[in-house]
Amino acid sequence: MTGAAWAVYARGVSRPSPPDRSPTLGLLLGLIITLSAVLAYSAYLTWQVSGLRKLQTELVDRNRKDSLQLLRIQNDLNLLAVAMRDMVSNDEPYPLTAWSAQFQRIRNDLDDAMRLEAGFSATSRTPEQSAFLTSSFTQFWDAVDRVFALAQEGREKEAREQIQLSLQERQAALSTAVARLLVQNSESEEQAGQRIVAIYDRVRRQVYVFLSATLLAILLTGLSLIRWNRRLFARMAELSERRSELAQKLIATQESTLRYVSRELHDEFGQVLTAVGSMLRRAATHVPESSALRTELQEVREVTQSTLDKIRSLSQALHPVMLDEAGLESTLDWYIPTVERQTGIAISYEKQGTPFPVDGAAGVHIYRVLQEALNNVARHSGATQAWVRLRFLPNALELEVEDHGAGFTERGFSERPARQGIGLVAMRERSELMGGKIVFSRPPEGGTRLHLTVPREKAESYVKEDHSVAGR
Amino acid sequence: MAGLASLSRLPMRDAWAIQAGQAASPGFRFADVTAQAGIQFQHNSGAYGGKFLPETLGAGCAFLDYDRDGWQDILLINGMDWPGHKKRRSTLRLYHNNGNGTFTDVTSRAGLDVELYGLGVAVGDYNNDGFPDILVTCVGQNRLFHNTGKGTFVDVTNASGLGKREGFSTSAVWVDYDRDGFLDLFVCNYVKWSPEHDVFCSLDGKHKSYCTPEAYRGQTCWLFRNRGNGTFEDVTAATGIFDSSSKSLGVALLDDDQDGWPDLLVANDTQPNKLYRNQRNGKFKDVAVEAGLAFSNEGKARAGMGVDAADFENSGLPGVAITNFDNEMVGLYRLSGKEFEDIAAPSGVGPASRNSLGFGCAFLDVNLDGWLDFAVANGHIDETVRNIRGNVGYAQPPQLFLNQRKGSFRDIGAEVGGGFEQPKVGRGLAYADFDRDGDVDLLLTTNNGPAYLYRNDQVSGNRSIRFHLVGTKSNRDAIGAKVRIFAGGSTQLRMVKGGSSYLSQSELPLTFGLEKRDRIDRVVIDWPSGRVEEYKNLFAGRCYECVEGERISPQDGY
Repeated sequence: MTGAAWAVYARGVSRPSPPDRSPTLGLLLGLIITLSAVLAYSAYLTWQVSGLRKLQTELVDRNRKDSLQLLRIQNDLNLLAVAMRDMVSNDEPYPLTAWSAQFQRIRNDLDDAMRLEAGFSATSRTPEQSAFLTSSFTQFWDAVDRVFALAQEGREKEAREQIQLSLQERQAALSTAVARLLVQNSESEEQAGQRIVAIYDRVRRQVYVFLSATLLAILLTGLSLIRWNRRLFARMAELSERRSELAQKLIATQESTLRYVSRELHDEFGQVLTAVGSMLRRAATHVPESSALRTELQEVREVTQSTLDKIRSLSQALHPVMLDEAGLESTLDWYIPTVERQTGIAISYEKQGTPFPVDGAAGVHIYRVLQEALNNVARHSGATQAWVRLRFLPNALELEVEDHGAGFTERGFSERPARQGIGLVAMRERSELMGGKIVFSRPPEGGTRLHLTVPREKAESYVKEDHSVAGR
Repeated sequence: MAGLASLSRLPMRDAWAIQAGQAASPGFRFADVTAQAGIQFQHNSGAYGGKFLPETLGAGCAFLDYDRDGWQDILLINGMDWPGHKKRRSTLRLYHNNGNGTFTDVTSRAGLDVELYGLGVAVGDYNNDGFPDILVTCVGQNRLFHNTGKGTFVDVTNASGLGKREGFSTSAVWVDYDRDGFLDLFVCNYVKWSPEHDVFCSLDGKHKSYCTPEAYRGQTCWLFRNRGNGTFEDVTAATGIFDSSSKSLGVALLDDDQDGWPDLLVANDTQPNKLYRNQRNGKFKDVAVEAGLAFSNEGKARAGMGVDAADFENSGLPGVAITNFDNEMVGLYRLSGKEFEDIAAPSGVGPASRNSLGFGCAFLDVNLDGWLDFAVANGHIDETVRNIRGNVGYAQPPQLFLNQRKGSFRDIGAEVGGGFEQPKVGRGLAYADFDRDGDVDLLLTTNNGPAYLYRNDQVSGNRSIRFHLVGTKSNRDAIGAKVRIFAGGSTQLRMVKGGSSYLSQSELPLTFGLEKRDRIDRVVIDWPSGRVEEYKNLFAGRCYECVEGERISPQDGY
């Protein structure tokens, strides 16, 4: 790797300066504050509602139940009034005692209503009021008993007079007293209603404030999140661009280095060794055939030839000159049998479509992708057979490398392997440099299928763009 | 295929009707046989524009076997023209059952060609001579007609001590409340009303309209004790029945505390209903409030009209139904512990009756499946009600609620045929097996309109067993007797009773539906006298005459 490449690499992989402070802490803090506010407000609302319920139960409901019992009492008093009217009118063929059962029924109901009413009115009634009511009823029933006693004795006229003079008046007074209590209950209910309305108003105002605050918090949090997201995405895009730039520069540097080394090996060392070989052959002609020196010269010449072959082979491997001279198709025709020989893997090579000339730089990338793919087959797949398909399509050039070996992962296969080696990264970068697309998949038989598609115009016109390897 | 062949002989419409009927599975069909039976009756409410309150009430009807020939005859009560507006003569009508599906009008022959403003009827053999006597409740003086046993009746109102009692009587019931073997008489009164004391009510401030009962003072019900010598004594006050606030329209006999002593349930209009519980000492106590029958579930006194009581859940306990004004629903009660529980809403009866104004009602096993169904005669009191409430009409369809068991009822009025579902201004309702085919038929009266006789035709093949009880120590009609039958693990309970419904009375013999059973295991009879009798291995398809303390004997067929 050249110094420039290292410099590029260093710039590309150096840890970027941290964007701004992480939003996590702020967001957590906001969440805690919001939750605390909701909890606090819920507690406050619960307290208010329980207060309201208490007020309703203790005051309004009790009042309502009390009023119902008072209405029941009033209804009974009205029934008594109607019965007394009938008793006084004397148009029934029955003695006054006939009404005793009716009175007793009403009395039972009144007693029951009074008992219930006393329970409901405990908090709202003054002792004087309760005592007055109880005493009035006691006096009324006492008078009733006296009337029926008179009737029982056959003193009907006297009994009727008592009804008119005493009972009806007492009944009217009781009705008035009950009506007054009903009015009092109504006023009390009205006051309670006003208090409830006030509580509702207060709670409503607070709900509005709370809702506004919550909405504001949500708005601020949302805006903050949007801002952080935008910065994050921008940062990611920048990083991605830098990474791509770095990879491209690395690839360009690698190619130029390999090309240089290959050329140096071929041109310099190759010619020197060729010359050494010629010189050794010429020197051997000056030595007798049976001479031991001649034998040694011959051995040295063979070593030299062997070294020359190896250097040529290494040069070819580093950067096949054939690519520049004969093009991609011919290079693959040479390369694939070579890999077969070197690795022992049987490779089925298919070509389809009408070939078109492939740009040199694109050819290098495609060659390198194939090289990396077959390397992976040889080193990782454990397969003994592989398939290489080169398709010249009307609009694209496709390269497919397939094996039925172990595949990328044992647990599953994704288009983007979970652990990408530098080779896979390089293949992807090369693909992107050509404007192509590379897809890894698992064939039904298992293993790995690499599918590279390069648009035809990119493969042909690639050289015209500034991404050329030569241009780097 | 045989069924298809038989259907093919019927007109297509009838065939479809039968198939539809079977598909709906009510198990029976109604046929309107009024005209075919020769019943030509037109009720006269006397309405001439004076808008008198009694004109809204209609009149009742009764099934009775007045000549003891074993066939239920029909009595239809009638009103009359008001004094000063006389245009025609109208009387009650007695139709003699000829035993062949037809009736003959024997009103004049029987001496009942009497003009009165009749409302209700109660039939009972108050003198235990074996022939049913008739009480007709009236606006004014009620009338008691004694059955001479020779096909004629004699008005014994004054001789019996029931005279000189002007009132506005509605439903009545014969009941032996003191269990002395003689039927006593309970009479409901509505309000204190007479043409002279009519109140002007108006909806528009100009024209007179019918008043609601709130405009009038209530009137106590009456209880007359049978002295056993053909006369009655007014025990209204002495027994605790007296209540001047009552506005009563219906009364039913029941034994709500199952003590063997008859209790009385009175349906009051806009006043709390009364449940007079027999104290077994010649007195009654109103326990309606404690029993949960006085008011609706909302604590409101509803407009009670008709009432019936029966064990419609086969629980051995009485249930109760009270028909009410529209928008008040029928009250359907089951006895739960010591209180009645209104199950109208969950049973399906309540919602279906919300838009109808119910009058006559009766529990009857119309499809003979062993479960009491429930029939209601509906009709409004206000001819102009539709102007006020669009979904309520003056004429309303009667309803027939099929007991689906487990406290559930379904209105099948529109499925039973015979034009039963046609809207009518229904009032009275009674049932009897007038054709002696083992099922109960329906008689329905309308206000200012005709009466309808619906013959029940079973199509499901269900059978029944009937009992006609004759008291010896108990009152001869055995009113108040309880009959339990046991068949195939199920039990049914019925009480021999008059009254119930609205202004009407059904037959006294009891009908028990048995589905397809051909016999019952046993029958247990609790006579009002306290005697208990049990008979075993009785057969379906028959009516048994049970004479207290003597015998049980099958009659020829039903």
